[in-house]
Amino acid sequence: MLLRASSDAVGAEVDLSAAVEDAADGGVENGAILTAFAEAVVRATDDLDAARTRALETLGPEKFVEAAATVGIFNGLVRVADSTGIPSDAQMLERTADVRGPLGFNRWGGAKSSGVAEAPA
Amino acid sequence: MSFADRRFPVPVRGDMATALRRSWADIGRPGAWWTGPERVAIAALARAERIQRNEPPWNRDRGEPCTPLPEKAVEAARKIGADPAHLDREWANGVIAEIGDSHYVELASVVVTTAAADAFCEAMGIDHEPLPEAEAGEPARERPDGMGDIGAWVPVQVIDWKRANVARALSLVPEGVRTFFRIVAAMYSGTATDFEKMVWDHRPLSRPQVELLAARVSALNQCFY
Repeated sequence: MLLRASSDAVGAEVDLSAAVEDAADGGVENGAILTAFAEAVVRATDDLDAARTRALETLGPEKFVEAAATVGIFNGLVRVADSTGIPSDAQMLERTADVRGPLGFNRWGGAKSSGVAEAPA
Repeated sequence: MSFADRRFPVPVRGDMATALRRSWADIGRPGAWWTGPERVAIAALARAERIQRNEPPWNRDRGEPCTPLPEKAVEAARKIGADPAHLDREWANGVIAEIGDSHYVELASVVVTTAAADAFCEAMGIDHEPLPEAEAGEPARERPDGMGDIGAWVPVQVIDWKRANVARALSLVPEGVRTFFRIVAAMYSGTATDFEKMVWDHRPLSRPQVELLAARVSALNQCFY
């Protein structure tokens, strides 16, 4: 996954469980602010206004817009992958082999398209 | 003008706003297989369903169907819009058997563009952009060459492909690729060269920050890819 590769590139150790845990920072600067913001948008929760305000105040307007853009575009990208059943790239499957099982990714429906599906928990 | 600068609570990069405007206008134009009014209807259905994503499908308010679309297209727009984690090959095959693979892929391209733009507005704290006016005209009905089977539910470009698979997922409808991946470049990846770099200097956020957001959104949607 690109989170690990990009963290490795700057010599940082990332905790990939932040992908599946609420408001986790993963060892990334302002990570908990970012993930809480993403969660509030995707889940449309009542604390969205507060999460947005925290993100804007902490990050500043330029970075806030980038965060909003990333959350927005990935709501489209996940639908591209999941509506077409596109298989994951071989290189990505290889790089994530050690974490997909423990993080539960192999139990998601889309894993079937890449031939690595495990039975749902 | 859509996505007018005055609507944003804080300034949005010019190239991002321009890309959103262009892709939004594309939704209202005749596509390769659907007319402008049909494409706007697809966007409207996907939006209405996605807004109710926290409700189970059987409990959503859908009102009276008032659409030029076939029943299976209505179902697909709603399901891709609001329940992407619950799609599977059998379901997609059933839709494709009714409406055709090209129509299905173009429909998906409209839904994903709408979902991305709507989620961006929600993140920014502004109302969804009004849907574009539908333009008159006939679909081009052109199917590209070089399509093949790589195990996806739809044919994709197979000639000399060296990029990520997701970038060819919609390649059966090149107009759909242009519409959606224009905003992908502006909102996330930058150029192909930018994307290959693991250290980003073309965005205010660091790449690990961007990828943490990407990973979290993907996981919340239970997206394996």
